Amino acid sequence: MLWGSGSGENISKVSARLIWEQNLRLIASDISSLVIDELCDGPCNEDITTAMFYCDFCDQQEQTTTNILGAILTQLTVREGVMEDVRKAFQKAKNEVGGRSLRLPDMEQMLRHAVAKLPHVFICIDALDECLPKHLLDLLTSLKYILAESPRARIFATGRRHVQGEIASFFPIGLVVVPISPKTEDIEKYLEKKLEMDTEREAMSGSLRADILRIIPQKISGMYVEESLVPDPCMILF
Amino acid sequence: MQLPPLFYLPYLSEFHNTPSIATIATAIYLGSANTLENTMDRTAYPHSISLRDGNTDCNNVTGSYNTLNVKNIIADETPEIMKWLSPLDPRGRHQDVRSDRLDGVGDWLLETNEFREWRSNESGGEKAVLFCYGGPGVGKTYLR
Repeated sequence: MLWGSGSGENISKVSARLIWEQNLRLIASDISSLVIDELCDGPCNEDITTAMFYCDFCDQQEQTTTNILGAILTQLTVREGVMEDVRKAFQKAKNEVGGRSLRLPDMEQMLRHAVAKLPHVFICIDALDECLPKHLLDLLTSLKYILAESPRARIFATGRRHVQGEIASFFPIGLVVVPISPKTEDIEKYLEKKLEMDTEREAMSGSLRADILRIIPQKISGMYVEESLVPDPCMILF
Repeated sequence: MQLPPLFYLPYLSEFHNTPSIATIATAIYLGSANTLENTMDRTAYPHSISLRDGNTDCNNVTGSYNTLNVKNIIADETPEIMKWLSPLDPRGRHQDVRSDRLDGVGDWLLETNEFREWRSNESGGEKAVLFCYGGPGVGKTYLR
């Protein structure tokens, strides 16, 4: 159990940070899913198409740029006109050398054309920092070309702060940044959920539980106050 | 107009597991649409030919069959096309995340001006990318 046993005062800053780091990842994914649902639940008169992707550290090898763009494209094929183009490309590839797989430039071109055909496309990508660096650069390059061809398209992304510099270099004008700052009530909700799911219930006492719910949010808030005074490394570069 | 069974039996041979090809052929030969409808159980054989809607001319049987066949090929091809595009399934992942999502967490983002302006799509390409970043990257990797 991460928070140890005995007195809640033994909860170190490191433990508090580890707990929060884990939950922050969940919160980022939750926010991505929330945004996707918000877009999908929009007014019926808005002719929008939403496509999403969740990057995952554990799936890095399979999550190549080609596969990510392909996964996004599969979600656009539900719209009229897109599937026909994809089907033609598939038939053509099928008849060549016994069935050719797609290369990144082909995939990017198909996705660019698909997005350009639709009035409003929202592409949401969760945890960009969990992409392999080479895939991240290819992915950002492709997204840049998509936006250049379809200025009305929108991209939502989450990730750790360290990828912000790379994103900013690809989108120097159109980038809006919002920090996911820890809200005390969010921390408390997650801690309560964690405590409910704890399998080692015999190690938990009422007083320890109360201490966890009181001390960890305090320590996490303290950490972020300290870190807010540290300048963003990206800003130092400029 | 009635045609001899030899004319349409080659087409009908494509239907496997039907009760009796000879029975169906006889029904068509006799020009009896109702007999054929009764012979082909539409629930058990959803892709079977239909002589409804005035399609009583036997010449239409081949036309109907060909149309259905093309539609079936297109429909059956779709999973193969999706797999060709990508082996990844983001929709499954999204379903998992949203199922576990705690109500209310992150609602603050939807209320921010940054999100509203990005969402409104009125700024052209000027605010096309919204990036939300989390805290510093320590601890995550070995916690997994």
